[in-house]
Amino acid sequence: MNELLIIIFAPLLGGVLAWALNVRGIRELLGVAGAAVPLAYLVKLYSELDASGQLSHSIDFAGFTFSFSLTHLTWVFAMIAGVVGLASTIAMVSTSRDGYEWLFALMSLTGAYGVFLSFDLLGFFIFWELMTVGSFMMVLKYSRSAGLKYFVLSVVGAFAMFLAIAKIYALSGSFAFPDVANAVYYAMGRGDLALVFGLFLVAFGVKAGMFPLHVWAPDAYSETNQSYTAMFSGVLSKTGVYGFILIYMLIGYRLMVEFGAFRSAPKFGYIIAFLGGLTIIVGGLLAALQEDIRKLFAYSSISQIGYILVAFGVGTSLSIEAGIYHAISHALFKGLFFLIVATIIYRTGKTTFADMGGLAEKMPFTFAMAFVAILSLAGIPPMAGFVSKWLIFEAVISQNLPILGGMVFFGSAIGFVYLIRFTYAVWFGQRPTDLDDTKDAPLPLAVAMAILAIPNIVFGIAPGLVVKELNKIFGGEIVTSPTLWELNLGFGRYNGLLILVWLIVGLLIAAVIYFLGAPVRKVPVTDTYQSGNPVTMEYNLTIRRNFFLPLKEALAFWLRISFDKLYRDIGAWVEDFAEVMRNYVYNGNVQSYAWYLALILLILAMWGV
Amino acid sequence: MIETALKALFILLYATFVGFMFMGIIRIVTARIHRRVGPPIYQPILDTIKLLSKKSNITHGLIYDFGILYAVGATILAVMFIPLGSIGVLRAYGDLILITFLLEIPMLGIMFAAMSSGNPYAGIGAQRALLTLLAIQVPLGFAIVALAEFYGTFSTYEIVMAQQTMGWSIFHFPLLLAAIAYDLVLQAMFGKEPFDIMIAPGEISLGPMVEFGGKHMGLLQIQHAIALFAETLFFANIFLGGGVVTAFSSSILNTIAGLAVLLVKQVAVLLIATFMGAIFPRFTIDQAAKFYWKWPTIIAALGAVLASL
Repeated sequence: MNELLIIIFAPLLGGVLAWALNVRGIRELLGVAGAAVPLAYLVKLYSELDASGQLSHSIDFAGFTFSFSLTHLTWVFAMIAGVVGLASTIAMVSTSRDGYEWLFALMSLTGAYGVFLSFDLLGFFIFWELMTVGSFMMVLKYSRSAGLKYFVLSVVGAFAMFLAIAKIYALSGSFAFPDVANAVYYAMGRGDLALVFGLFLVAFGVKAGMFPLHVWAPDAYSETNQSYTAMFSGVLSKTGVYGFILIYMLIGYRLMVEFGAFRSAPKFGYIIAFLGGLTIIVGGLLAALQEDIRKLFAYSSISQIGYILVAFGVGTSLSIEAGIYHAISHALFKGLFFLIVATIIYRTGKTTFADMGGLAEKMPFTFAMAFVAILSLAGIPPMAGFVSKWLIFEAVISQNLPILGGMVFFGSAIGFVYLIRFTYAVWFGQRPTDLDDTKDAPLPLAVAMAILAIPNIVFGIAPGLVVKELNKIFGGEIVTSPTLWELNLGFGRYNGLLILVWLIVGLLIAAVIYFLGAPVRKVPVTDTYQSGNPVTMEYNLTIRRNFFLPLKEALAFWLRISFDKLYRDIGAWVEDFAEVMRNYVYNGNVQSYAWYLALILLILAMWGV
Repeated sequence: MIETALKALFILLYATFVGFMFMGIIRIVTARIHRRVGPPIYQPILDTIKLLSKKSNITHGLIYDFGILYAVGATILAVMFIPLGSIGVLRAYGDLILITFLLEIPMLGIMFAAMSSGNPYAGIGAQRALLTLLAIQVPLGFAIVALAEFYGTFSTYEIVMAQQTMGWSIFHFPLLLAAIAYDLVLQAMFGKEPFDIMIAPGEISLGPMVEFGGKHMGLLQIQHAIALFAETLFFANIFLGGGVVTAFSSSILNTIAGLAVLLVKQVAVLLIATFMGAIFPRFTIDQAAKFYWKWPTIIAALGAVLASL
């Protein structure tokens, strides 16, 4: 059997076996193996891929030819799926409850691999749906309403993609990517092109969580097994992101020729970028106002995807490379965050900030992991999150796009804001007494977190590792990397190692002054300045609810505008309309149906059919 | 290697010393505006020595200590990247975006330390500091974008060099707008009125600083001094032409003259902030956010758009 097919189907096989056997112990082993095998094959295929540039395979099934291809681009995305998928399944060893979860979690992973490796639109679509079904079932088990919301929006996206593919197939008569790209370039009309672009935008925007199609994500990400959310947000949202690259590959040239450019960005790309910018701001602000730890990270995930969309929208090789870099670091730090959330929920059984506090003392390892994740997401040098954000900043601003530049700047501050809220409410302050015997992360979760934490640090200090791979996608030195540590764009430079070394120097200087001083005495959390009032553990003085109340007040006007509410209203209208139709038209009376039939026949007859 | 180490040591000592002098200047000038005599200029140094030599120190745990060290370390890191006249250790890597981030992250360390104490005043201070950060980030971002787009480079050093031939940034209209916005942002970065909401003495007991004492507070004073120096230096570099002097034949004389030129510019920036701080009462946090999201943002965005044309 071909390696590519093994990569795609190994998780599904593992999942089906785990579900069928459903014996504790063996189930977990099969599941983890299902996620580990593709990763092993991806690593193994790397040298072959490097030599030949592309590995392809195609099979005939049910009268269609499905072709799969591993290129440098798809390898990078498949590796994201491999690493985050593995970490997520290892974490599921602790948190999953039955074979059902293993089956559908791994089914969605197979879907994601299929989406990345497919080289024709039909296979792409089928695997896309497989992935949606798997993730939908995972959400459905925990919450019906969140699942349905996800399902409805996914169906909208799927229909959009289906129509776009049908439109393309009608024109080209083929599903294979090269044929499609050719046919679109030579034969597609202006109107059709705009339509196909719009449909793809909806289809991929839903999956990536692009504003204003993001409304499913906060509910779906939070109402499922949090170990699985690491994969959901880390890998599955990346298929949407990959879809935007596909837009470039399939119809990008034609769109560029047909619609031209706005300043230096292609016009169609500017739409993507602008929506991405709004996604950053809306997602970030809403993240800061959440009271539930899962929702905070769900919105934060949306916000970070916005960066990737901005980068892709700008449309230069540099910005797309920056976007892919951010896709990698987003998968790493957001996967890590959801595993941390999984650990917290696993150990405390609580999800709202109001019930937590002071956990840093009880869960030092998890806190250390959270520290890495916070630094990376907030974009603190030298972490992977900083490098990718830095690349996006430089890529956007160097193209003379000031408004987008302002948007990404705002996004970096809002990141600080919601992360500190998380840090304060969960880790510090007075601890509620029922959390006094909380234990640290169980081994599988700890291993999974470590798997994701290490690259967060390594890819920040040695960005050359990543950039070398990403340059291969474009076949040129988009970002020069003279050494492993250094990036050079011509108009800006970054050196991870130097930053690390000088940060250590700075810390040492501070430490010398610190240790020259008199020794410190540890005091309990109740021994603080309280304007003369003694603090007792009976009253929890730490601000846990409505931490950013002033922000809420300042944004009161904007918060009233909600797309979620709009969609719900539309849903309610449709229901009302259906009610009216049922009362007056579909009233169940056979005689009136006969009248409708007669009426239609009459109309047809008058038309001269 | 040794030369780099010596340069770094010089920058560090110079930055700390001048930073403390700046703190003294702020106190004296404010006192004179209030028709008081004010403390001697070296008073902050005495305060810091006193704090560092306290015999009894308390801690609330590892993060409480590490957050402070991190704040000082990150500030030292930031100052190394900013060109100081002709002396520079890491100025080749002194990227605008990097420095902007580095000037913000010491606050993260202080927040971590303050919050780990569990004091609610520290919590509310952290909340205010973050909302202030959120408010200033918009005009700050546009100002940086305007600079980068005007000069076509992100390197602070190259921007300084470009100003030697093209004239100071503030003499170009788009960058003048950016400079005005950035100067308003500096007011909040310094933590001066009307944007001293995060520490708000007498209101929330110094907010994040409430729990610190002894050597922790001493280290924070040092951090504040270096940060004050770094922020004014960054402004002087990117908007006021930096300190490049080539009039003398001796390179040492040139360097000293460059430092003197920079110092004058830095003090000018500092005095503007002090004057503003002495006249205005404190905003509330939502007023500050609404202010920053209105005028400075409009000014800076206009600058950025004009610079990109």
